[in-house]
Amino acid sequence: MQVKGQSSAAGKMDVNQAKQEHLLALKVMRLTKPTLFTNMPVTCEDRDLPGDLFVRLMKDDPSTVKGAETLILGEMLTLPQNFGNIFLGETFSSYISVHNDSSQVVKDILVKADLQTSSQRLNLSASNSAVSELKPECCIDDVIHHEVKEIGTHILVCAVSYITQTGEKLYFRKFFKFQVESNCSSNFSFNSILNQVLKPLDVKTKFYNAETDEVFLEAQIQNITTSPMFMEKVSLEPSMMYNVTELNSVSSDIESESTFGKMSYLQPLDTRQYLYCLKPKPEFAEKAGVIKGVTVIGKLDIVWKTNLGERGRLQTSQLQRMAPGYGDVRLSLELIPDTVNLEEPFDITCKITNCSERTMDLVLEMCNTRSIHWCGVSGRQLGKLSPSASLSIPLKLLSSVQGLQSISGLRLTDTFLKRTYEYDDIAQVCVVCPYTSPES
Amino acid sequence: MDSSEGPAQRPVTLDIDGAGETLETSVPPQTDLTDESFREESIDLDAEAFVSPQDDSSHSESLIDKLNDQMMESVMISDSPNSEEEDVVPIDSLLEQNEDEESKTPDGDTEERNEDINTPSAAEPENISEALFKEENEEEKIVQVDDKRENVAPDDPAPEAPKIQDIALEVDMDVTPKDEPVPVCTIFSQGVQSKAQALIPDGFQPTLVKSPSFTIGNTETPNKLVPQVCQPSPSLSKFFTDNGAVNPASDFFDSFTTSTSFISISNPNAESPKTAAPPESPLLSATTTAETVPTSTYFTPAATKPQVSPVESAAPMNKLQAVFPSGDDPFASALITSELDKRYDAWLPSDETRKVLISVATQQISPVQIDREQLAMPGLKFDNLQGDAVKDLMQRFLGDQAAMKRQVLSASSVEQNFLGLKRLISTKNWRAAVDLTGRLLTAHGQGYGKSGQPTNHTTDSLQLWFVRLALLAKLNLFQNAELEFEPFGNLDNPNLYYEYYPTVYPGRRGSMVPFSMRVLHAELPQYLQKPQETLDRLHGIKSVCQKILSNLQEGLAEDGSMMNLTQDNRLASIQLWRSRLSRVMYSMANCLLMMKDYVLAVETYHSIIEYEPEQKVQLLSGIGRIFLQIGDIRTAEKYFLDVEKACQSKGKTPNEDTSVLMNRAFVYLSQNNYADAHTCFSSVLKLDPKNPVANNNAAVCLLYLGRLKESLGQLESLVHKDPALYLHESVLFNLTTMYELESSRSTQKKQALLEAAACREGDSFNIQCLKLV
Repeated sequence: MQVKGQSSAAGKMDVNQAKQEHLLALKVMRLTKPTLFTNMPVTCEDRDLPGDLFVRLMKDDPSTVKGAETLILGEMLTLPQNFGNIFLGETFSSYISVHNDSSQVVKDILVKADLQTSSQRLNLSASNSAVSELKPECCIDDVIHHEVKEIGTHILVCAVSYITQTGEKLYFRKFFKFQVESNCSSNFSFNSILNQVLKPLDVKTKFYNAETDEVFLEAQIQNITTSPMFMEKVSLEPSMMYNVTELNSVSSDIESESTFGKMSYLQPLDTRQYLYCLKPKPEFAEKAGVIKGVTVIGKLDIVWKTNLGERGRLQTSQLQRMAPGYGDVRLSLELIPDTVNLEEPFDITCKITNCSERTMDLVLEMCNTRSIHWCGVSGRQLGKLSPSASLSIPLKLLSSVQGLQSISGLRLTDTFLKRTYEYDDIAQVCVVCPYTSPES
Repeated sequence: MDSSEGPAQRPVTLDIDGAGETLETSVPPQTDLTDESFREESIDLDAEAFVSPQDDSSHSESLIDKLNDQMMESVMISDSPNSEEEDVVPIDSLLEQNEDEESKTPDGDTEERNEDINTPSAAEPENISEALFKEENEEEKIVQVDDKRENVAPDDPAPEAPKIQDIALEVDMDVTPKDEPVPVCTIFSQGVQSKAQALIPDGFQPTLVKSPSFTIGNTETPNKLVPQVCQPSPSLSKFFTDNGAVNPASDFFDSFTTSTSFISISNPNAESPKTAAPPESPLLSATTTAETVPTSTYFTPAATKPQVSPVESAAPMNKLQAVFPSGDDPFASALITSELDKRYDAWLPSDETRKVLISVATQQISPVQIDREQLAMPGLKFDNLQGDAVKDLMQRFLGDQAAMKRQVLSASSVEQNFLGLKRLISTKNWRAAVDLTGRLLTAHGQGYGKSGQPTNHTTDSLQLWFVRLALLAKLNLFQNAELEFEPFGNLDNPNLYYEYYPTVYPGRRGSMVPFSMRVLHAELPQYLQKPQETLDRLHGIKSVCQKILSNLQEGLAEDGSMMNLTQDNRLASIQLWRSRLSRVMYSMANCLLMMKDYVLAVETYHSIIEYEPEQKVQLLSGIGRIFLQIGDIRTAEKYFLDVEKACQSKGKTPNEDTSVLMNRAFVYLSQNNYADAHTCFSSVLKLDPKNPVANNNAAVCLLYLGRLKESLGQLESLVHKDPALYLHESVLFNLTTMYELESSRSTQKKQALLEAAACREGDSFNIQCLKLV
């Protein structure tokens, strides 16, 4: 349904309408944003043959920017020239005009505009009350808006009923069909495949689990329309269990700068990666059981704008993540230095969480490896640990080998069930020799 | 019901299906429609078909009957006006329902009808057909060009040509038994003669053929021919015999460029195409014998040829003299102009070209010996565009009588010289102006089919080429322009430099190609979907500009030679080259913007501010608008804030106030706040009631506010009150769009606009914006 096409199609109709005696004409035009007129500067210098003619022509042209005629982007607004594409999440706006083409006054005019989608029918008219009368050459105007939330075929159904001077009740309808889709370009072969996707954006997500409870979410957002898109907002709305930190800007003292540079727009087929860090809220983190299994992370909320602020908004469905299993007892590190000196003791702090449904009575054993030597007593009683509870233990150890060393050799034994849990390769430290002489 | 209604309607649908291909039935016979309109017509009918049932049904008595009828055909929804709102029926099921219904009808046509209803959706195809204004343009143009080609196919003119030419020759002979003033160009007198027959647009065919080269047989040498066919202008020959190199000529030759050097050069082609690459260079012979100086003389001021075309009276000649006054003291003015020439003509040739030029200058090599491959040998690639789309449109919609009233200047109705050319340009008869350049170039020996044949260039011939190509670009005839630009290569051929013609332009240096032509040459590919090439060429020009500027700053001459420039001259030259540099940067930024490379475009526009500080406000506002176009309102506002600061620092003038207000309006617009945007545009109008942009934009806002009639009234009154300002493509496009939305009588209203345009606009008026076809 093209704006112009539609109305001219309707224009042709009235040729027949003369015999069919419809007194009113209905016209519909999609109101996308107007565009700025661009002109084409052709200039010459004073000494050239046309002299100042070209300059004068450009100065007299109302669409040029006065004082800077060679700037092609003018200020003149032009109405939309075609129906264009409509994408999921955008707002469909349309002008509906009912004009009295006849020479008689028409009464009780009722104009209804409905939008039929594949699943529902929506009434879009601003008012549903009848206009009592319409004089010749007058019109009833309505501008309707609808945020498109479904993909596929939409039909705008406009119905007009009225009463003629002779009291005859007349009624007619018009249908305007349009397709909500991702894009219509056939320039790229794979775009035509995407046609079936029927959306403006392609979103892919990926989760990374950190050693701590944090979860990193990477979202790849691709513009699959054919026009540039300004990403006004891409935010992660976390579920109730998480706090979220956006990692898409580098903050300095004064203001934060986007990692995407100065221009926050996506060219067609460009993809951009957004990164978010999710931390379980303390009250949930403590109850380790809750984080187990599949958890809902939240959803992405995306707001974009195109030509002169044409707005679109989409939300993803709830993003879900399978939390890594920790078994019955989870041992994580709360504190560890990254670099330590050779053969010098250093401290780490371990956090032990009971992830099971029962209370445990734990014994901690520390076994030396080739490079790691634990200080202190092995086989110490840690006491009872109820479900979801955790405790922190400071430990001391040293390394006898230089380089990157893996910390291994911790054993937890639950004395109730006589079950032993082994913890190897729980972290790495870089071991350096402090005595290296400068010349080596 | 079904069975009775079905057959009655089916034929209609079928007809319409066919209409796409065989349009005759539905279209008025006298119109010759383009493919475009074919499609459009058929689609309109389709649309009708889509809604037609209810129309057809209007003669049946009861309302319910009507509704039922409608239901059947229009497929969608089985409902009555009273109950229709509530039903939420999935479309699929609706369609199925429809199919069911249709399958009940006895006829086998159902399938076809189904398609009709399901796919085309009233207007979807129209999308495509109307989709891109510009594309349409282009298509049409291609067609045009093809037509032209056919017209000028070498065989075609042959039968007519000799006859006409004979007459021309006879006339010449009569008038010029001796050395008396001669019609410098037989073509023009011919053109005037044939005007009567040539009222038909195509009537210009003959002119093309009239280039002397066509008639001259292959028998004789140019030397012998010249006196007979192309009489040298007496004054010219006098000049050459008198003194080959001194300035007195400047008096006489003050062409528009006010160059001190000679402007007329003989062109082998002007006389005989067969003697390609004549062994003795015409240049050399020119200085020795008067006879061999052929005439491409229309580049001389018309003062010398009042008798040339009897039709053109002496009056324009006087005017012409007034336009090109010669200095009182030829010598003094010669000095000044030579400085100017040097400044404007400066260019840095490529190494290869430089070598050739040096060897020509040091007479190590004669220009004749230079490989043809290295030379620019242009020629017209197509002939008359002549034609007035406005008139054709009037003929079609308003009848012959109305069309007769349309009077525009044509190439034949003006002086056959630069003055006439300028008149055509300023009256916006660019098509006619292109024709005229074609004639002038034909007379110079660079006419149709002359591409690839040796030729000599002059300052004026290159200016003519520039004007021609610039106008083609202005008319959006980019393919044509590209075609004719092609023989010029990258505008660096040795024979495009003054040094190549040491005898004709003694001492003059630099490029004959106007700088603006280089810019045009660079800009052209972007309109043909080759923006990368545009950028490459622009970068080439930019680096030459920068090199010249750095030469000047280092105390050298423009071309890097050790020449002393006075301080004034140096400053003037620096200023000139800075302005040229900024022009190139503008082109780059514009091209980047068209490529949607906003980052670089904004950067480039920003860097222009340094060169054009007085355009700061416009540039910053422009950058702001770019951001609005992208959708980045916040950044746009930052730039608009800078605009306000710049205005304040200057102490506000009303003009700058309007740009601040205008920017604010655009921000409101981008926030979907049409009411406040309208207020802002209106307040611009309080400051500057005649501001066409604000007027138009305010009207556009009104439409988005649902106030169609007001918006329409405003635009309409503007167009009628002040057509000079508002008969502009963009305004007319808006107006016609609203006409279409407003009433079913849009065609009449558009025709009124056509009439208004016909009174004022030249043949370059873009009729597309009226949306009549």
